[in-house]
Amino acid sequence: MDRGASTLGPRAAGTQPRSRGWKAALPFVGPLLVLVVLGFNGPILLIVNYSFSAAGTYSFVNYQELAATPVFLRVIGNTFRITVLTTFVVAVLGYILAYWITSLSERTRNIVLALVVVTFWVSVLVRTYAWIVVLGNAGLVNRTLLWAGAIDAPIAFLYNDLGVIIGMANIQMPLLILPLYAAMIKVDQRHLQAAASLGASERTIFWRVFFPQTIPALASSVMLVVILCLGFYVTPAILGGGRVPMVANMLDTYINSIPRWELASAVSIVLLLFTLALFMIYRRLDKWASGEEA
Amino acid sequence: MERRTFNKLLLAGGALGPVVGFASAQSQVRELRINEGGGLNGDAIDAGYAKPFTEKTGIKVVRESPNNFGKLRALVESKSTTTTLFELGTASLAQAKALGLVEKIDWSKVDALPVYPEAKDDYGIGYQYYSTLMAWRTDAKAPKNWSDFFNAKDFPGKRSIPDDPVYALPMALLASGVSIEKLYPLDLDAAFKKLEEVKKDISVWWKAGAQPPQLLRDNEVQYAASYSGRVVGQPGISYTYNQANLNIGYLSIVKGSSQAQIDAAYKFMRELTDPKNQVVAADIVPYSGNSPDFEKLIDKASTSKFPTTADNKKVQYFNDYDWWTANADSVQKRWQQFALNR
Amino acid sequence: MTGIRLDKLRKEYGTFIAVNDVDLTVNDGEFLTILGPSGSGKTTLLSLIAGLTEPTAGQMMIGGRDVTIARPQARNIGLVFQSYALFPHMTVESNVAFPLQVRGWSKDKVSAAVLRALDMVQMGSLAQRRPAQLSGGQQQRVALARALVFQPDILLLDEPLGALDKKLREELQVELRQLQRRVGITTLLVTHDQEEALSMADRVLVLNDGCVQQLATPEDAYLKPANRFVAEFLGTANIVPSTGGRQGVVRPERIRLLPSGSGGVPATVREVIYLGQSVRYHLDTPDGGRFVCLAPFVGEKHAINSAISLAWSPEDVWPLQ
Repeated sequence: MDRGASTLGPRAAGTQPRSRGWKAALPFVGPLLVLVVLGFNGPILLIVNYSFSAAGTYSFVNYQELAATPVFLRVIGNTFRITVLTTFVVAVLGYILAYWITSLSERTRNIVLALVVVTFWVSVLVRTYAWIVVLGNAGLVNRTLLWAGAIDAPIAFLYNDLGVIIGMANIQMPLLILPLYAAMIKVDQRHLQAAASLGASERTIFWRVFFPQTIPALASSVMLVVILCLGFYVTPAILGGGRVPMVANMLDTYINSIPRWELASAVSIVLLLFTLALFMIYRRLDKWASGEEA
Repeated sequence: MERRTFNKLLLAGGALGPVVGFASAQSQVRELRINEGGGLNGDAIDAGYAKPFTEKTGIKVVRESPNNFGKLRALVESKSTTTTLFELGTASLAQAKALGLVEKIDWSKVDALPVYPEAKDDYGIGYQYYSTLMAWRTDAKAPKNWSDFFNAKDFPGKRSIPDDPVYALPMALLASGVSIEKLYPLDLDAAFKKLEEVKKDISVWWKAGAQPPQLLRDNEVQYAASYSGRVVGQPGISYTYNQANLNIGYLSIVKGSSQAQIDAAYKFMRELTDPKNQVVAADIVPYSGNSPDFEKLIDKASTSKFPTTADNKKVQYFNDYDWWTANADSVQKRWQQFALNR
Repeated sequence: MTGIRLDKLRKEYGTFIAVNDVDLTVNDGEFLTILGPSGSGKTTLLSLIAGLTEPTAGQMMIGGRDVTIARPQARNIGLVFQSYALFPHMTVESNVAFPLQVRGWSKDKVSAAVLRALDMVQMGSLAQRRPAQLSGGQQQRVALARALVFQPDILLLDEPLGALDKKLREELQVELRQLQRRVGITTLLVTHDQEEALSMADRVLVLNDGCVQQLATPEDAYLKPANRFVAEFLGTANIVPSTGGRQGVVRPERIRLLPSGSGGVPATVREVIYLGQSVRYHLDTPDGGRFVCLAPFVGEKHAINSAISLAWSPEDVWPLQ
């Protein structure tokens, strides 16, 4: 009771039951916690350990080698470039799509949402190969365009940046659409009606009233997409035709082909640090999105 | 603290391996675990070798896949391997030797039938021969060698080659006129120079063995370097073993396996040398076995399909994996650099 | 001249008629309340006037201008929702500045007008707060400032005080009424609270099932209800026989309680409810009739089950149609 009294204040009401609940949940959460620590955090420690290992002792040689070999940082740079481009495409198309879904009748809306969710059930590998069927030289799109006489030679959609961005954007799209849609339907319709009665044009209503209210959700979903893009492996490998080097593919070489785990670990740790920095931004935005802003 | 000690602590905390390890270290061996490439390859092992092995010894064969090299290193570092046999390519076998990840084989304990000499490595048994060869759409002009293959002027069309320097660099050197005998040590400058020249004609640098036959079928490319098993017998696709890279799939014993497990593995190796078993396996995947008698047992019409038949074997080359072990690191960095600009 | 005229205004949703041929004239500067139970069509009527809903049929004029199909932006109407609909991502100041900015006012003019509007509702000191940091009453004032700052022709209020507690509601009712008089703006207020409807309005429009039941001053609507629905919806109605075989209504405070046997209608006290200044009696008559009476409390109450007589003067009976 003393604790309750000492924490009285505007926010105290939520604090106390939460801390009590935490204790009560420990027997249930405990095993999970041990699993997470041993199964996930342990291996990361191992990777950190590897990254500082060389010839049986600890040293910085792996990081020195990484810094002295521009190609590693250039691959990381290229990964970020593809990530930014993909995220941009996902954000613009995903936003439009989510907005469009909110404008549908409830029935159609459920069907469209189901179609978006269904893509989660199809493996990334299958979806990646499916793009070859659609966008290849002998694919659906090119054959249609050739047949229609719109082009003389097939357009190179695949085996370049474009192919990788299309493939990755397709896989990431639902991750952006679903949270964004959830945020959009939460926007109070009366805000829009109020804005209209206050004299704002449709355009102004969208940009000054609707869009700002979806920015937090947009920002946090974008961050999620960015973080996931950084680790993409299959899609860039297949749809990039070997022309779009990504960090995950390089790591595969240094883990499975050469095996220089120590060097691969150092690259991973650098990538991890970048990702963690992004994740911290993501957390900030997420808190903002759920209205916990002070 | 010593790095080793720290590793042990982490592994002891993180892995349940040791417990299982004890159980399987008992003298009675019930099962033999093999880590192999998976897919049709696994079916071939089951039908060709595991079946007669289990019939004779009563030991069950359990297959695991895929065979990432990293996994072998992890098995050894766990100090408690339950997997006894591990499939390695020629390159990875050399690396495994260098890193001390595989047990030395006591060939006197293996009741082996006659095999090609290179199949009897100190650290592995070569059980499957496969090639990386040039293939093309039957409707494209047929190349005879790698010079033709990369000559887009006289052999118009797009190409696809592996995104792997182990295959791509020798191809490039052969294309620039180096003979098979003088291939090693690789002249890296010449190889990369050739690749720079031809990279505009290469539309796909493939990662997965399934890609080249698909690319050829879809007319995405007209010429592709491919694993032989993926294109041999495929309609619409032609190929030649000329100047192909002959590779051997090895099975090696994981370092730290118990003596009982090793003895079981030796008995399994005997089955791998039997040409009758090899024919059964080759019926599932068109790769050949290690027996010089293999060719006599397959039907005459299909001899040209297999990498090890006398006519085919003599026009191919093996990679020099000691060279690769020594140079892999620097070549990979150069390869990554090259990959950024192609 | 910014009165409103509705001519046979109608809104159907499928087979449901939300607003049924409503005729209404609101005078310039008048404060009209629209009263009705939930589902009576009062909010639909308001959104038709605001232009948020398109009518199925009928005509609508504001200040002599036909606005039947005009978009909300073109109507120059200040609108306040029950939920206030303040933009959560903007400060109080930006919320109030919004309608001026979209009209392209200059910065100086905007800030001067915002300041005036916020002072008018005593919110000047909280200009930099976000809506989430304000109490319900404060949000209501900001919403009002935002709806008035651009000098609209009409002010529409949709249950503006419904989310507030009773005491605050009463305070704001007074303030709102004073403000409306000061600004002199034609105002329509939708409510389901009859006290609010009666206390604030120049005239009351009673709606039920999408139809106008009565349009009258609060006194007339209360004492001279047009029909039984209005009589019972506006306060408590005792139904008694009237002239010409018709029924009439007598309000509880018009009934006198006399000692038993002193003439009038005999009745038994069923329930006594003490209300401070007055006492409410629920009574049963021998023929099964039920009465509610309100008597000033001056120290004595009739006990439950005591027998008394009820009396009223004929002029207090309003005959129903």
